[in-house]
Amino acid sequence: MPITIAPLNTILTIVKLFVDEKTKRHLENLGVLVNSEIMVISKNDGNIIVKVKDGRLALNKDVALKIFVR
Amino acid sequence: MRFALAGNPNCGKTTLFNSLTGATGHVGNWPGVTVDKREGVYKKLEEKVSIIDLPGIYSLSPYTPEEVISRNFILDEKPDCIINVVDATNLERNLYLTTQLLEIDAPIIIALNMMDEVKKSGRKIDSKTLEKELNVKVVEISALKNQGLNELMKAAYLEAKRERTGYSVLENSRIGKVIDETKEDLKHKGISSPLFHAVKLIENDEIEIKAHPEISIGVEELKNKEPKDEFNGDYEAIVADLRYKYISSKFSSVVVKSEKEETLTKSDKIDKVMTHRIWSIPLFLVIMFVVFHLVFSEDLLFLNSIFGLEITSEGWINFLTGMGAEVDELTGEVAALAGIPSPGVFLQNWMGFATGSLIDLFRSFMPEGTWYTGLICDGLLTGLDSIFSFLPQILLLFLFISILEDSGYMARVAFIMDRAFRKFGLSGKAFIPLLMGFGCSVPAMMAAKTLEDEKERDMTIRLTPFFSCGAKAPIWAMLAVAIAGSFLGDIFVFSIYILGIVVAIIAAIIMKAFNKNYEAPPFIMELPSYHAPQFKNLMAHLWEKLKHFVIKASTIITAAIILIWFLSNFGWAFWNGMVDDIEASILASIGKALKYFFYPLGWAQGVDGWKFSVASVTGLIAKEDVVATMAQLGLCDDAGESIAFLMTNSRIYAFAAYNLFTFPCFAAIATAKSESSKKAFPITLLFWFFGSYVISLVVFLVGLLFEASIILGILIILVIIGLIVLGLYLLKRRNTKALKAKNA
Repeated sequence: MPITIAPLNTILTIVKLFVDEKTKRHLENLGVLVNSEIMVISKNDGNIIVKVKDGRLALNKDVALKIFVR
Repeated sequence: MRFALAGNPNCGKTTLFNSLTGATGHVGNWPGVTVDKREGVYKKLEEKVSIIDLPGIYSLSPYTPEEVISRNFILDEKPDCIINVVDATNLERNLYLTTQLLEIDAPIIIALNMMDEVKKSGRKIDSKTLEKELNVKVVEISALKNQGLNELMKAAYLEAKRERTGYSVLENSRIGKVIDETKEDLKHKGISSPLFHAVKLIENDEIEIKAHPEISIGVEELKNKEPKDEFNGDYEAIVADLRYKYISSKFSSVVVKSEKEETLTKSDKIDKVMTHRIWSIPLFLVIMFVVFHLVFSEDLLFLNSIFGLEITSEGWINFLTGMGAEVDELTGEVAALAGIPSPGVFLQNWMGFATGSLIDLFRSFMPEGTWYTGLICDGLLTGLDSIFSFLPQILLLFLFISILEDSGYMARVAFIMDRAFRKFGLSGKAFIPLLMGFGCSVPAMMAAKTLEDEKERDMTIRLTPFFSCGAKAPIWAMLAVAIAGSFLGDIFVFSIYILGIVVAIIAAIIMKAFNKNYEAPPFIMELPSYHAPQFKNLMAHLWEKLKHFVIKASTIITAAIILIWFLSNFGWAFWNGMVDDIEASILASIGKALKYFFYPLGWAQGVDGWKFSVASVTGLIAKEDVVATMAQLGLCDDAGESIAFLMTNSRIYAFAAYNLFTFPCFAAIATAKSESSKKAFPITLLFWFFGSYVISLVVFLVGLLFEASIILGILIILVIIGLIVLGLYLLKRRNTKALKAKNA
């Protein structure tokens, strides 16, 4: 499911990144890559704040919709 | 010797740099404060060492222009030692860059920063194991608290004298063979750091492929021979995955988490409120208003307007508040003061009192009626006084903005603004350079480097001056006193800032409407933890600002004041000596010509209209000159009192609007030219020129309407908004069609 509808404060695993090449590379550098763990901390109308490793990332709706987790 | 500081954004490189070199580089609590490299000297070793502070990078494959600066420096300039600053509170992510740096053939040392934070959170980090695994020296430090810095520098100095050959954590992985063969190819060609370049080639790094096209073909062949896996030959993902896997397998035991650690940190809990779906934007507005209220209000907490509190006593209260006893000139009675002044106004009163008294004292020693008395007292001192009396207020405003910056809140503002900005074709990331514009447009435009999209960069630079810079603040402070009902000063100033933001948004919508296939780039930003603002940082910010201000005042502003003095005291036949009547001066004739251009805007009408015209033009030299010129031409004393008699509120507002939206100062124009694309810059100039004129005109006309009839005013405003919305809707429909057609 896209991460925007994932439950809060639950450890999720990234399955697929449906973003363009450049964005994908940037996300991967930040630790958002397939098979890694991610947790949604807060949602703001589709825009989300996630916990990746020990850092917090803010993502807008368009990007979040393209990150699939399980 | 040269040491370079490299590390993730917001990991404390600049704090370390400042501690090492005694510099006062701008530190903020958000990623991407440093956008250009900076050099300083460390003196506590046997020889002097240059320290280079680089912009933060997540990876050596750059995503934004400022990241290219870091990569190029590390690879091309070959520093004697790379000090890899690692944020120990987010070890795994930070080590990702480390694994890339290790591949370079250069001495490297790891500064494990923010160890004080780690200890405070109850975590433990086993830096010895880290050192052993990575095979480089690791030093625990706290850049903020000056801990471990000497040890770090000594160790770095030792490392710098040793040769080091890069190694890769991927060497023993399943792509080790491909890496090895590519490395040999590159080595054969005599390329330095062959291992690093080999891995980048395999990652399909753009810059690398351009540099070695022939080898990259060989690499592709090698890759094709490898068996396919779940990544389907996406080598850039494979490499990232291997790096992270290596890090978590080796170092998950290095960090011992504390038992009482909760999933949600304090920071996360604050964020639940600060980035709330509904409350975040109102909260931001309230915070900003409180700041402006504390700096510009003459009626603190509205005690006067709401509770009718008045200070009438002539005695010590007046003395303390700095308001002085305002004696009515006609009746001779002591006028009631409107409530307690805010700290900002309080300071301004005192500063005005102090500088005013100084000038009076100085004047008493000068012979009367000579030209040099005129130049020094009426020209220079009056002009400088008008600016300096607002200095405490400006510094206070900065203090508050620095507090918001340093606490980490500004990064959240970017996030909450993204939702609003995105609809208008800008991402929230653009909001950060724009917010920096509240300080000074020059660094703000440079900060636009952090934006990855060229179009967005151009748009951001174009809108930066709308975020009223510190140098414009004296104009608002002066007009705030002049606006009828002076207890509304803070609301007036707040409204100017909000007007700037609103117009920026409208301008962004319009620009987007003309860019058919444009969509704002995605918003991906690291949010730093909140922390209490650091006194050291705040003072450093204020000190920088003060220094900048004093240097500017003593050079370019002084020069402009002298020029204005000359032009306003001499006629075209200047060899005949000074003119008695200012109306016969060179400046007057220039101003009277300019006046016709500005005439429709309201504020250029009337006997003194030409003075306002001249003042707004001198703002090109430095925005402070607007106030200085007005003071010199006798339009206001340092409290801005007399202007109130010359202008109506609608004219004052139109004048403010013009100065807010017109060309920034020359320094900012030059920065805009160098930072924006060639194609965009001329449009930017036209945009500033016409934009300011139109907005000022609209403000004036609407103001006139309001003065005539409030209902009519509201009606007309609604009609204007309606027309704008309709126009944009039509444009948007056209654009969505174009986008759909493009995608289909």
